[in-house]
Amino acid sequence: MRQILNIAHYEMLHIFKEKILFLMVFLVPLGYAALFGAAYVSAVLNNVPVAIVDLDDSKLSREIAAAFANSPHFKVIDGIKTYAELQEGMKNGRVRAGVIIPEHFEQDISRHALTRVLTIYDGSNLIWGYNTRKYIREVFNDFIAGRAASYLAGLGYTKNEVRAIMDTVSLNTEVWYNPTFSYTNFLYMGLIMIILHQIGLLSVSLTVTREKERRTWLQFLSAPVPAWKIFAGKALPYFVAGFFNYALLLWFAARFIQVKIGGSLPLILLLGLLYDVIITAAGFFISTRAPNSLQVTRYVMLLSVPLFMISGFTWPWTHIPAYINFLARLLPSTWMMLGFRQVALKELEMSYVLPHIWALILMAFLAVLAAVTFPKRLNPPPDAGPAINSGPSYPSRWK
Amino acid sequence: METIVAVKDLTQKIGRKTVLDGLTLEVRAGECLGIFGMKGSGKTALLHILAGIDRFTSGKVEVAGIDIRRTEKFKIYLGLVTQERSLFQDLNAAENLDFIAALKNAGRDNIDRLIERLELGEVLNQPVGHMEAGPYQRLALACALLNNPRLLIADELIGAIDLYSRRIILRELETFLAGGGTCIWALSNAEFMRHVHRVGWLEKGKITFYPPAEALTRWNARLQSPAGQGGDGDA
Amino acid sequence: MLRQCLAIMRREVFYLWRDRGLRHILLFGSLLGLMLFYAVYSAQVLKDIPTAVFDLDNSAASRELVDKIGKAEYLKLVASTASYDDLRELIKQGKAVVGVVIPENYGRNLALGRQARVLAVIDGSNMIYATNASAALLTVTRTLSAQAGVSALVARGVQLQQAKDAYQAIDISEEAWFNPALNYAYFLVLALALNIWQQCCTLAACLNVIGERGMKSWLQIRACGISKFRFFASKSIAQIFIFMAVVLPLYILGFGALKLPLNCSWAALLLFTLAFAIAVHSIGTLASSFARNAVDAARFGMIIALPSFVLSGYTWPLEAMPVYLQKVAWILPQTWFFQGINYFAFKNAGWNLMAHYILAMLAIAAVCYGAAAVFIARS
Repeated sequence: MRQILNIAHYEMLHIFKEKILFLMVFLVPLGYAALFGAAYVSAVLNNVPVAIVDLDDSKLSREIAAAFANSPHFKVIDGIKTYAELQEGMKNGRVRAGVIIPEHFEQDISRHALTRVLTIYDGSNLIWGYNTRKYIREVFNDFIAGRAASYLAGLGYTKNEVRAIMDTVSLNTEVWYNPTFSYTNFLYMGLIMIILHQIGLLSVSLTVTREKERRTWLQFLSAPVPAWKIFAGKALPYFVAGFFNYALLLWFAARFIQVKIGGSLPLILLLGLLYDVIITAAGFFISTRAPNSLQVTRYVMLLSVPLFMISGFTWPWTHIPAYINFLARLLPSTWMMLGFRQVALKELEMSYVLPHIWALILMAFLAVLAAVTFPKRLNPPPDAGPAINSGPSYPSRWK
Repeated sequence: METIVAVKDLTQKIGRKTVLDGLTLEVRAGECLGIFGMKGSGKTALLHILAGIDRFTSGKVEVAGIDIRRTEKFKIYLGLVTQERSLFQDLNAAENLDFIAALKNAGRDNIDRLIERLELGEVLNQPVGHMEAGPYQRLALACALLNNPRLLIADELIGAIDLYSRRIILRELETFLAGGGTCIWALSNAEFMRHVHRVGWLEKGKITFYPPAEALTRWNARLQSPAGQGGDGDA
Repeated sequence: MLRQCLAIMRREVFYLWRDRGLRHILLFGSLLGLMLFYAVYSAQVLKDIPTAVFDLDNSAASRELVDKIGKAEYLKLVASTASYDDLRELIKQGKAVVGVVIPENYGRNLALGRQARVLAVIDGSNMIYATNASAALLTVTRTLSAQAGVSALVARGVQLQQAKDAYQAIDISEEAWFNPALNYAYFLVLALALNIWQQCCTLAACLNVIGERGMKSWLQIRACGISKFRFFASKSIAQIFIFMAVVLPLYILGFGALKLPLNCSWAALLLFTLAFAIAVHSIGTLASSFARNAVDAARFGMIIALPSFVLSGYTWPLEAMPVYLQKVAWILPQTWFFQGINYFAFKNAGWNLMAHYILAMLAIAAVCYGAAAVFIARS
């Protein structure tokens, strides 16, 4: 135990001495969380800029325009009066949606002639696209209902009668777990998990490569200290820092970004603990195998986007091919992100995250096993021909 | 006398190059064996195998009667001074002593004694990264001796360092040997041959043993020969 | 002089090639990314949202409603449960995203013009599912309420034609421009692959200055007396050339084989990409000019390259971010690039806008190169 604590003590000293490493361990996760938090803080996409090309200019067409103007989801952009201007506005991003009311619209309606309102929206960005489509339908559903009500009132029905008729059959939609359609509730915690994963992995995965580069690894190898103690000592500070960051980022997300983090606290802690063990152990394992810090840094950083995208956290896994899902399930981030959503957003109990917990436990076991069984012997350096940055060194101005 | 290092048919191939070609050697307790050779002759390769750092291609190596391929246990008997600086550069001298003592699971009581004997008192607060060669080498030796090793493996124990430090190191080496310790010392400077009991001359992957005096004579003869440093290769 | 420059460029190519990690990253990184993301989004359109129904009524009318829901765009009936708890369970487990509960006597109430409430539940935890499911249910609601309203009026003795007039829905058609099928692969695959590409390029560029000054061979270069400007300019040209060579197969594969939409000309796209490659290179060069070593340079470069995609507003729109963040985002060349990919590859927004974007990226490059030159000169 004294040996482990001693190794941990000196690793800790090192973290405090190396400024950039210190920043990475203690500040970068929060920095990224704040940055992404600021990006997603508005949570709901409102004020979609819409242009209304009213070629009819009748009472009815103005009512339609008013319906859009009154919706909190839309912001009517003035000054776009023709189809050509609308086309231009859609191309240069001034508007994301348009409503075109054809000439003689009101007349045609009263004559039961064929006519229709054309709505367009920008499909090139599907966050605009999906939301705008939904908003357009909402506005029109309300508008049509309103018109029917006034028509019925015109027929001489009283208010209550109108309401009774209108409500005959209603399809009430309830949205569970995220009733406000908050994009932040949906996405943000996934990003947090990737931040913790990547920055955690990156910090701990330099712990042995650094010793290799400075040849101090020889001191570890020639000393009679077993591999598991080296792992335990070196990983301990990162494990503690990792868990601290987990708690800090959850608090930050809930407090400042207003992300919904509900569900059982012990479950959230358990998930975080397992995730932290995996990250620390996997990072240490990578570190014992990697030739130098530069290569680790490069490869680990490039993993961020694919890790997030293949997890099924955004684009649902039901619509992802089986082999990609298989690949994704070999990764702890997938289980963590999906499991965390089950607990924190859907507030489900233990039985719904058991598969996630078992998967994480298995991965934690394997990662620790891999980390503690690294060989304390090196292969003699291979004769790689003219090569650069593949051995235990990389360009550095001050050694 | 007890045999502390027994090497049989040790071969090390790196890529296509055979660095060590079927070496056999024995070192007895209390002996100081010098491994002499030019740069790239395989001294460090041999020492790193003996210290249980590098894997090797074939052969059998026993340290203190333990097959080093089987277990790590022999490392409690080991002290290592490396050729390139391998102490922790982000720590100062005292912290290095403390940390390496912890790695070796050696008691702290040795530290004070070694600080005194190797006269490290004045450099204890210096960061190792900026230390001069002489004090650094003394510190490296102190670190190697922290666990009272039975076998000291020293790669270029003394390089081009100040004479004062050299004297202290040689004095400590003598004490170590007198106390029953064994030393394997890799050297590329023939000048130090007189401090060892036996010289193993490493060349082209083979080792040949000479008494120090004879090794020195051969070396001087080679320096005189018209073929120059390349030598006639009879070693 | 040309011979000298060519020699430096040639050596630069060797340098990048012999750094095995970098070679793999440049050769395969972005291509692998493209394939992976294309595979992830191979379903392309989010159809078949799993829907479960709990039908308490089980009448002809309720079955008709179930049928209607099943036929709604994007919804797919996957289960019919025997209890509300079962339905809730399916949603909890994520096996159904939409749940519909049809009340008892639904058919009878409908026929009698009495009130009947149908409940639809949407799992809102995944927004991609939720917005699509919600949009689909909105159309069901519209036709359902019109139908029910007409029959309610008829039940009250109103003439059919008149009743229909009341509900004569204003006919609305919807068009999604630039991506009519709302194809998610069109939206994201190329941009994600380009995101990987720009990260790979940043990593390579981050070796530009430190890769020389951090090596002993720097002494040789200093001793040669070649101007630092000419030396690094030659290196940079070679690197930018390689960046373009890396993105070319990406474009060919994406637009050619995978048929992603490209609405502007190839020449314009490549010119636009070149401006961005220069800008990314300038950031890497700047990071490599003041970093102490190659690892720190890679970190500095990636600290910008990693979050830049999120900040660029390619997905979550810039307009929805706070104003101060938008201002920060427009400092990054990645914002200009990814916004531009949307404007030019999808929308063909015209040369005027593109010229503006290209100039902005070149201006950023000029600032970064200038700062890098100061750092190099000062040492």
